[in-house]
Amino acid sequence: MAGQGNSVGPILLASLRDLQWRSRRFILAALAAGLVFGVALMMSGVANSFTIEIRNTVSSIGAQSWFVKTGSPGPFTDPAPFPAGAVNAVRHLPGVTQAEPLLVGRALTRGAVTSSSHQVPASSEKNVNMLGVVPGGVGSPQVVKGVPLSGRFSTVVDESLGVDVGQQIALNGVRFKVVGLVSGVTYFAGQPVAFVTLGAAQQLETSGASLATAIVTKGTPQASVGGLTLLSDAQVRSDLGRPTTQADKTIQLIEVLLWIVAAGIIGAIVYMSALERRQDFAVLKAVGTPSSHLFVGLVIQAILMALGAAVIGILIEIPMASSSSMAVRLSVANYVAVPVVALIVGVIASVMPARRAARVDPAIAFGG
Amino acid sequence: MSVLEVSDLTVEYSSGGYKVMPLKNFNLNMDKGELGVLLGASGCGKSTLLSAIAGLLRPTSGSIRVDGAEVVGLSGKSLNDYRQNSVGVVFQAFNLIPSLTARENIELVCWTAGKSRAASRDRADQLLEKVNLADRAKHRPGSMSGGQQQRVAIARALALDPPVVLADEPTAHLDYIQVEGVLNILRRLADDDRTVLIATHDERLLPLADTIVELTPRAAPAEAGVDHRKLEDGEILFEQGDPGSLVYTVESGLVQLFRRRDDGSEEIVNEVTPGAYFGELAPMFGLPRSATARASGPTVLTGRPMTDFRAQMHLSKAKASEPLVQS
Repeated sequence: MAGQGNSVGPILLASLRDLQWRSRRFILAALAAGLVFGVALMMSGVANSFTIEIRNTVSSIGAQSWFVKTGSPGPFTDPAPFPAGAVNAVRHLPGVTQAEPLLVGRALTRGAVTSSSHQVPASSEKNVNMLGVVPGGVGSPQVVKGVPLSGRFSTVVDESLGVDVGQQIALNGVRFKVVGLVSGVTYFAGQPVAFVTLGAAQQLETSGASLATAIVTKGTPQASVGGLTLLSDAQVRSDLGRPTTQADKTIQLIEVLLWIVAAGIIGAIVYMSALERRQDFAVLKAVGTPSSHLFVGLVIQAILMALGAAVIGILIEIPMASSSSMAVRLSVANYVAVPVVALIVGVIASVMPARRAARVDPAIAFGG
Repeated sequence: MSVLEVSDLTVEYSSGGYKVMPLKNFNLNMDKGELGVLLGASGCGKSTLLSAIAGLLRPTSGSIRVDGAEVVGLSGKSLNDYRQNSVGVVFQAFNLIPSLTARENIELVCWTAGKSRAASRDRADQLLEKVNLADRAKHRPGSMSGGQQQRVAIARALALDPPVVLADEPTAHLDYIQVEGVLNILRRLADDDRTVLIATHDERLLPLADTIVELTPRAAPAEAGVDHRKLEDGEILFEQGDPGSLVYTVESGLVQLFRRRDDGSEEIVNEVTPGAYFGELAPMFGLPRSATARASGPTVLTGRPMTDFRAQMHLSKAKASEPLVQS
């Protein structure tokens, strides 16, 4: 007499064999779903890059608190100038150990220029975020290559600008020598930062007027100064992230849509398989296979296909990200999340075909 | 005691909006070691009967007992246990799973029933040996001949050594060389004290049979001759699903032919007037009556066997008087 027969081993064998049997179709579906997974993963990386660049940029200033003109939402999104001399009042606030003025502006560059080629094509124009800082003071960047900012027409730029130490760049038509590079200091969706001296920034942005758009401090002030508002690092990060919030939400929506597309691809293939295997399911039922096992069999197939697609997606994402003009930042957690999401996608995709398989009338096994 | 007892079995289902009754009060008793052949044209209920015995179709009424245990009404696990252990089925067109090898097709049945995989594999090999296919164990059905596939299907039906084996048109897709091998195996199954029931319209199987059951009787003795009938208004001549061997000609009055729908309503398919005939398909093709015939008002008609009817037709044409109108 047979035993209980509760093992899903037989249906697992049947599912694996069917995957082998229809391997071309399943591979094509896994490739298509994998491409979708890869794009979704890249979108995650782009969204991550928004968060990471904000964190990097704010921390590259090295300030513990920020003063901006009262009424201004923050130092980056809507910088409002005020006399740089206000720094003296801030330096005398209790809790402040060091304070410097900072001028935030924007500039246009055409990349590296040499003495022999002053004109470069307009197509190479790039927007840069220009930060005027006091060399050696709060806000002066830590370079990953070259030397710290020093002379009036020297600049430290983010390496994503594509220039090297020793080269010259023109910012709004004024030449600067690149003395150092920083890494990952960008904002507004990957626009590189160019640090210049406060004096040079004032020359470019305020026609030489002694103005600043923020005062950055070491130490935490215990009081404020009239006309200025004190902001924490977190508030500054929030301000800096505002312009990309909508883009971030759009990316998240597209990601969800991409997961749904992947589920649709897998679901369609598994459904087609379920339709073709109607007779097989009827025979399996006729020999005593419980309906629940047939259901599980198709869920397993969909999960295996989704996991295969996840692996393909990860492999596809790597070259796609490296050729992307936008920064793509992915953590280990992002990669680990892909098979987990794929598992969920697989289960969702299989529900309809699996229900169909479980409901097959075993009497159709008698059909010719 | 019979191994297989079918009593008053009626199966009725809906097809295309009409009620169909392929089996009506059907009875069958088979003993251990007996080989029965169900004979009949397509659509006469052979596969329906096998489906009901295999526990794949719930009959409308009646009883099926295998080894004394009632089958009708089983559900869930007990039904699965019955399908696994009490009855083996050899399907028409083999119905092997194409992605599995011959061994795996058999192994799967044993494994599903709770045997270990190793024991299931051993049993599959043993059965493949029995049907002379040990060397084809690793082949998929697509790379085997029809006869070989049918032998694997028989081996699969025997996987859990059931007392009853059902075979649906086992020779339908085989050439005469392959048929011989399959018939030998089926006969040997019954010789092993198993009850074997084969549904077929292949009369080559008849010499094998211990019992022959014709699902559509060729001629009912009462209907063998010419039948002159007088019907009152509303009187039924025959019911949909009845066997029939006579073709009726209306002499006077009116006959309504109607079918019963799922919802119990009637659909008039024809009204037969004097000089016209009806009911020729059942005797011609050995099929049950496809509609019910009822008199509408006092009616006189004549029923003739097919041969008499044809002769009457020729005579009518020769005389060229009052030609018969087909209904």
